Parts: sequence; C-alpha cells; structure tokens
Amino acid sequence: MKLTRRQFFELGGCLLGAAIIPRESYANAKKYATLIDITRCDGCQGEKIPLCVRACREENKERFPNPKKPILPYWPRKNYEDWSDKKELITTLTPYNWIFVQKVEVEGKTLYLPRRCMHCDSPPCVKGCPFGALTRQPEGNSVIDHNLCFGGAKCRDVCPWHIPQRQAGVGLYLKFLPKYAGGGVMYKCDLCDSRIKKGEIPACVIACKNQVFYFGERKEVYQMAYERAKKEGLYIYGDKQNGGTSTLYLSPVPFERIDQYLAQTKARFRMPVNIPNRYHQEINPIGKGMVATAVLSSLAGIAGALMNRSQDDSKQKEVDRDEE
Amino acid sequence: MKNRIQRYGILVRLEHWTVALSGIALIFTGLGCLPLFKRYYIIELPGFGWTADFYTVTKIHYIAAIFFVMGVLFHLFYHGLRKDFGLIPRPRDFIDSFKVILASFGIGKEPPCDKWLPEQRVAYLFIGLNILVVGGTGFLKVLKNLEWVVFSPKAETLLNLTHTISGGIFILMFIIHVFFVLAVKPNWPLLKAMITGYVDEEYVKKRHHLWYEKIKGKVNLEG
Repeated sequence: MKLTRRQFFELGGCLLGAAIIPRESYANAKKYATLIDITRCDGCQGEKIPLCVRACREENKERFPNPKKPILPYWPRKNYEDWSDKKELITTLTPYNWIFVQKVEVEGKTLYLPRRCMHCDSPPCVKGCPFGALTRQPEGNSVIDHNLCFGGAKCRDVCPWHIPQRQAGVGLYLKFLPKYAGGGVMYKCDLCDSRIKKGEIPACVIACKNQVFYFGERKEVYQMAYERAKKEGLYIYGDKQNGGTSTLYLSPVPFERIDQYLAQTKARFRMPVNIPNRYHQEINPIGKGMVATAVLSSLAGIAGALMNRSQDDSKQKEVDRDEE
Repeated sequence: MKNRIQRYGILVRLEHWTVALSGIALIFTGLGCLPLFKRYYIIELPGFGWTADFYTVTKIHYIAAIFFVMGVLFHLFYHGLRKDFGLIPRPRDFIDSFKVILASFGIGKEPPCDKWLPEQRVAYLFIGLNILVVGGTGFLKVLKNLEWVVFSPKAETLLNLTHTISGGIFILMFIIHVFFVLAVKPNWPLLKAMITGYVDEEYVKKRHHLWYEKIKGKVNLEG
C-alpha cells in the first residue's frame, strides 16, 4: 500500500477533524447534575417502599432482565449471578433495583442516603468497557447498552462504588459461547436517559415528597451545593471523588464518619472519601508518554530514511556501476 | 564453511522483535482487560496476582503499547520513505502463496521466489492492515482517555468495539504467523535469520532463486 507523506498527513487531518467535530456538539450540550440533600431524607417512613425507589422501579420495569433458565454457571467456576428470584429486594442495588436508600447511624443521628450511580465526570466503567456497551452521554450521565453488554462485570470492578449489578442468563453472550465467555448483562441507573433527553426530570427526583433531590444544570447544582455547604456548615460528597461526579450529596456529618459506619457494618456499598481517579493518576501519564513516543519514533523514522537511502536502491546502483 | 547472506539488518530485526514482544504483552494484557483472568483462575497463578487489578493490567497494556507504537511508526516512516516495498504484495501472490504453502507440506513445487515469499507479502498486507486498525483505534482510545478528544457516544462504542474485535483478529494472525514459522520446517531458516540476520547461501539458491540471481557474487556474501 503506497501512502505518500502528503496522503499520510491528509489522513491524519481527516481523523483529527472527525474526532473534534463531536467535541463541539458535546461542549454545547447541557450537562446535568443531581444534588441529594440527606438532611431532608427520612427514608420515606410510613411508606412501604421509598418513593424514589418505587418511581425508579416503575420507570424501568420494561428494561429489567428476563433471564432464560436454566442459567449456565460461569465455567470453569460453578457460580452465576441470578437476582431473578429477588426482584422485590429494595434494600440494595440489584439488576431489578437501581436505587436504594441506605440507613446510617452517626453521632446519634439516623441518616438516609439514596444511593445509585454517581455518573462520574471521567467514568472508569465507560473507559474500561471492552465492548463499548457503556457510554458517557453529552448530558453527563453514563449509560449501559443492554443489547451490547457481555456481562463481564469489569465496570463493577473498576467502579469505586461497585455500582453496576449483573444478571446472568440474559444478553448478547448467549448468542456466542455462553458457557465459556460473558456472564449476562449489567444494570444500573442511567439517570433516566430517555427522560432527560426529552428535557424531563428523572423519575426519582419527581417522586420525592421531601425534595431531597434537586436536578438541574451542572454549574447551577455545584454552585448551590457549595453555597449551602458554606452557609449551613454541611459536608459535600461527589465533587472531588473519582475526579468529580454529576451527583453531589449534602450531609450534616462528615462523610468520613458515614463511611466508617458503613465499614463497621460491612455494608455492600461504601462511601469512601479519598477516591482518586486512577485513569487520571496512573494511566493517563503513560498515555502521554505514548503520544510523545509516537511523535518521536515517527521523526526518527523520517530522519533515518533521509540519512539512509534504500539498500535496494544503493545495491541497484552498485550493480549498474559494475555493469558499466 | 558455508557462505552466508545477510537477509535482515539490525534495524529490521529490532523493529520485528519490538513489535513481536510488545505484541505478546499486548495480547496477554488485552485478554486481561476483557475480562477473563479472574474467571479462569489466572489471577491465582503464582506471580500473576497483579492481573486481578484492571488498572494494573491496563497500565502494562499501555506500557507495551508504547513499544508497539514505536516499532510500527518507525517501520512505516523509515521504510515508507526509503521505498522499501519488497513486502508489498504483487499480482499473482495469492495463488503463489498457496503453492508455497502446499510445497511446504511436500505437495507440488514452490514457484521461484524473490527475497520475500509470496505468502510473506500476503501475510504482511493482512497483518499490516490489522495492526493499523488495532493500533489506530488503540491510539484513539488513549487520546479519548486523556480527554484530549471527545467522541460522540456512538463513535465511542464503535471505537471500543473495533479495538476489541481487531485485537481478536490480531491474536488469530499472531497464532497463524507463529504456526507457519515453527511448524513448517522449510521456514526455520527464516526464523534463524530473524535472530542472527543471516541465511545460508544454499537456502537462498534453493528457495529464493530470484533474489539469489540479483545478489549473487556482488553483495553481502561471507565465507
């Protein structure tokens, strides 16, 4: 394949252009965030199911998994993840329950924390998904494409909060080698992607009677959170964690104490305060090194070629000389 | 002592082994990114505990990719600008490749070959194109993770999926390549040449007759 230097740079220019175009539309799109004010949440005492949880289940019921049974274990292991007989479980995250209310007792206070995907600014689940099933939307939310997900659960492993939940016996992997690869489909909150794309508000936000949630433009939500934290002496969670997220919690007690309680009670979902974004800290510096290497090795190739003519050429010339 | 003819210079061998060794590391860590290692107990093997952490596996993948990118880009620019096009397929190469492969197994006779066998030229084309896809998408993924470029969600899906699929094809091509080098005895001198740089004159005379005619008695003969 002949590719002249000029063609190479033209191709490079086209690729760069193609990559930059979506950036424009991305920058112009509205980014949202949610403020979760736990000073206002009472876990919906008196209600059978917290209203946010009920609204979420109602909103997404058509998208819940319907596994094909019997479900094959994840060979060579004997286990598989099946929540289909625990559909009514509302006290934790499952493929059938994408938000739950976590009860915490700190400093003599009982707090209720609605927990779901934080929708990170730089989501490791999206970066790590080998199938591209996870994408970050222009609105700032991370969404799993249930038709593309293979259920490897890597997203759960790389998520600092281990939010996505797996259901076996459903999804694309069944069409390939269901015994040997894949494990189902991952499920989590997508911030009501189809609603917010229409300019509507997520179901959990609307359902809350205590106005625990405030959903709005990201800048406004961040500003509001910082102002209230300063004015009322509250603590913020979600603005720094994992490099920043689209979900901010406001609490009357420090989040270190909340996480301490969750650690002591061996809670499935913790709230660690010190969460660096490992892509930013550990992986991207190597990525920069790779870009530099690409430039330097290209330059080295060009310089080397200019200094050394093709051996074939020079040999040919030698042959020609000999023949003269 | 037998006469030896230089087949691969030091640069070519360095390029080949840089791409090969980093390619092996990329295959291993790429499979680890899939994820498969936990399920298949790899993380429990002595010395492989690090494969349990996706971030560590990704880091090693990136480090290996630095060497891979270095080898591939140097190769492209250096040989492209020098017009070293001996490995670019020629007409009839597909048919002649089959003849060479069949002859390797004792069926029929090999057509007279130049420095590169027709099957090598065909393999170079396919492996080269695949490397451009897997390497190109990998490079774009790095830029995306750096957040220097932002892709639309659909483009992001396409990019990740293309990298994974072309990575799978790379593994397949790697296996075919290694199979033809190790399992086909007539190719063993080529492996030796990729290590030492030289092949025996007798081998060249027999198998690369066209190349032999071009160089005989003039260059690179040692005795």
